[in-house]
Amino acid sequence: MLAMNPTLLIGPADWDPARFPREEFATRAEAFWRANQSATGAIVYGDRVNHAELAYLTNFTPKLEAALALIPRQGSPQLLVGGGANMLPAAKPLTFVEDLRPLRHVGKTVAQWAREHGGDAPVLIGSAFMPYALHQEIAAALASKIGDKTAELRPLMVRKSARELAVLREACATLDAAIAAIRASQAAGAGVTATILAGEQVANRAGAQDIRTLFSLDGGRTLRPFETLVERAVDPLQVYVAVRRLGYWTEGLAVLTAPPHPCAQRAGTVLREAVSRMQAGARCSEIARGIAQANLALHPLTARIAGNAIGLALEEPPLIAAGCEERIEPGGVYSLRVGLSDERGHAIVSAMVAVRDRGNEVLWSSPEAAR
Amino acid sequence: MTFDERLAAIRAAMIEHKLDAIVAIHDGAHFIETPNPVFVLSGFKSLGPTAMVLPRDGEATLIVTPAWDADRAAECCPTLRVIAADDVADALASARDHGSLRGARIGIAGLAFTRWDIAGRLAQMLPHARAADGIVFDAAAVKTVEEIANAREATRIAELGYARLIEIARPGMSEDALALELKWYTKTLGAEDNFLLLCAGPRNAAVAPSNGRTMQRGDILVAEITPSYRGQLAQICRTATLGPASADLKHKYDLLVRAMNAGIGAAHPGAPMAAVCCAINTVLEAEGYGEYCHPPHIRRRGHGLGFGSIRPGDVSLDNDSVLTEGMVFMIHPNQHLPETGYLLCGEPVLLTAHGAEPLTQRRSALVEIGL
Repeated sequence: MLAMNPTLLIGPADWDPARFPREEFATRAEAFWRANQSATGAIVYGDRVNHAELAYLTNFTPKLEAALALIPRQGSPQLLVGGGANMLPAAKPLTFVEDLRPLRHVGKTVAQWAREHGGDAPVLIGSAFMPYALHQEIAAALASKIGDKTAELRPLMVRKSARELAVLREACATLDAAIAAIRASQAAGAGVTATILAGEQVANRAGAQDIRTLFSLDGGRTLRPFETLVERAVDPLQVYVAVRRLGYWTEGLAVLTAPPHPCAQRAGTVLREAVSRMQAGARCSEIARGIAQANLALHPLTARIAGNAIGLALEEPPLIAAGCEERIEPGGVYSLRVGLSDERGHAIVSAMVAVRDRGNEVLWSSPEAAR
Repeated sequence: MTFDERLAAIRAAMIEHKLDAIVAIHDGAHFIETPNPVFVLSGFKSLGPTAMVLPRDGEATLIVTPAWDADRAAECCPTLRVIAADDVADALASARDHGSLRGARIGIAGLAFTRWDIAGRLAQMLPHARAADGIVFDAAAVKTVEEIANAREATRIAELGYARLIEIARPGMSEDALALELKWYTKTLGAEDNFLLLCAGPRNAAVAPSNGRTMQRGDILVAEITPSYRGQLAQICRTATLGPASADLKHKYDLLVRAMNAGIGAAHPGAPMAAVCCAINTVLEAEGYGEYCHPPHIRRRGHGLGFGSIRPGDVSLDNDSVLTEGMVFMIHPNQHLPETGYLLCGEPVLLTAHGAEPLTQRRSALVEIGL
C-alpha cells in the first residue's frame, strides 16, 4: 500500500553477506538469463522510491540519488551511483558489486558499456521509473533498440527463497512489536502523534531499515500520513504500519480500541475466510470476488485492490483485484487487506500470508482476524 | 507575498506567455533537489502521482492518486476541484476529452522529473504543450508569509535536532542508528520529513547518507540536518568531533565560518546570487585554497530550499539570479580542505530589505563532543 515517500532513505541498508551471500544473487541473475535467452545484458534502474528490481539483483538501495546497474550476461556488473565520485565510499557497503562508478554522462556511458560488455541486445529493467529526461537520454544513446523486461523479472521475485522468507518473518516480528507499542501507547491515553511515534521508535530500535505509517483521525473513514503534530487522543485508532528489514517490507492494518469493535470483528471474519482461499493456483480475481461476496460495504481503501504480493517493494504484482487473472504462486508472500465502511463504523484489517505448495502460513495478521 | 498573490502572478505570466492552461505533474517521489509544481500550485503534498490543471481563468483541478487520498486533498485545498483517480494520466486524458484542455494552449510543468510511465504518456497526450516550469517555479522563488513561518519552525527543529545529536552521538554507535534516532526525534517536534545526511570518519570525503559504519573516538561527524515542516525545508550544516578537536581543525573551521559570514554579508536585495559565492570564495582564496573553490572539489555554496520551488537556485558563480526580499536559501561554504577532509558549515537565510537574516538562533561552530 502506498504511504508518503521520504526525501531521503534513512536506516540500515548495508549488504549482509551472511544473510544474502553472493550465490543468492547469482542464482537470481541466472534465472533471469534463463527466462531471457536472447538478452546479452541488463541495464537496471532504481531510485529512492522504486528500486525493488535493482535491490533484487545487486542488494543496492539508492538512499539519495538514482542508480543504474549494468549487468552483462557474462562477466562482472558495474553500478553507476548518482551524486558524484565522493558518494562512492558511502555506497560501497550497500552492495556486493565491486565496480562502482559515478552516474554521469549516462547516454554515453550506457552506450559504451553496451558496445563493450552488454552485447548487441541488452534489456532494460525498471525503465518505467526513470525520469522522463533520463529515459530519453538512454533511448537516444541506444537508438531505441532496447526492450523493457521488468515484467519478466517480477515472476522470479514473487517466489521467495528460504533466506528471503526468514527475513520476512523477522520483519513481521518487528511489525508486531511496533503495533503492540502503538496499542500500549494508545491505551495509556497518549495523543495520536506520540502513539504512532512510539511504534516507530520500537521498530527503529529493533533494527528496522524503514518504517512508514498512516493513521485515521475520523474513526477509520480515511487514512493520512504524518503532516503535523496531533496531540489529541483518538479511540478507536485505525493504523497502517509498514516495516522494512534487510530490504524486505511487511505491512499491517489494525483497529486499536479497548471496547469490542463490531465492524473490525466483521472485517476480521471476512479476512480469515479470504486467507483460507489464498492457495497456490487460485486466481487473484477469485480472492477479490470472495471478499466482495461477503455483501458488506467495502472500505474505499480496499474496495478496488484487496492486496498484492510484497517483498522488496511494498506493492508488487500481482494485485489481488477484480480483473486480475494472475494466479497465487507457491512461495509467494502476499499482503491481504479487508476494509469495511458503513454508517455503523469503519475498519481495515490485514494479513501477511506466505503461500506454500499446499496450504499457507499467516506470518502476521491484525488481532481482529487472529481471534 | 501570500499564496493567492503567487497564484495571481502565475496567471499573469500565463497571459504574457499566451497560455490558456498549465498542467503540473508530480509522481510522488519527493526530493529536495527536484521541484514539485503541484505543491507550488496547491500546497498539497501527495502520497502518489498527482496533477493539477490551472486554467488562466476559472476553477483549478487537482487530480489525486491514490483515490482514497482525495479527502485529505480536499481538506488541504478547499478552493480546488479535487478528482480522485486510480491513474493520473488516465484522469488527465479524461479531462482533455471532456473539454478541459481541448484546443487550449497548454503549458506543462514538472515533466522532466516525472517517471517515464507517466511522463511519456503525457508527452504523447499533449504533444504541443510548451514547458512552463519557469512560470511556476520563478513565481515561487519568493516564499509566502506562511512558507517563511514554516521555514523558521523547520530551522528551530533542525537546531533542536543538532542539540540531540550532540547529546547522544558516541563512539560505538552506528551512523544509521544515530540518523534514525534524529529522524525520529525531529518528527516528535513536528517535522514530517528530514533530508538528513550524516556520516563520520577521521577524514570525510563528502557528506553522504549514513551507513552501518560504527563511529569511533576522534571521528569528525558531519551532518546536514534538513527537517521539513508542513512541506517547507530548512537546513543547518554542522560539524562536530567525537572527542577533542585538533588545533588545526579548529583553525580551518574558523576559516569556513569567516567565509560563511562573508557570504551572508554579501547577500542583499539586488545582488546577483553569484556575488554570494564570490564572497565566500574570496575568503578561502586569500588563505591559499583557491584550487578547492571549483569543481571537482566544490560545485556550489548553497541552494534554494523547499519541496515546491528550489529557486533562487544554487549559490554558484554561474547563477545570475537577482536576490529579492522574501527569498529563503542556504548559504554553506561546505568545503573539502586537504588538511581536514570535508567540513560542513552553513545556515538557512531569509533575504530581508536589510540583507540576509540567518534563521538560526546559533550560527555554526565546531563542537567537541565530550566523551
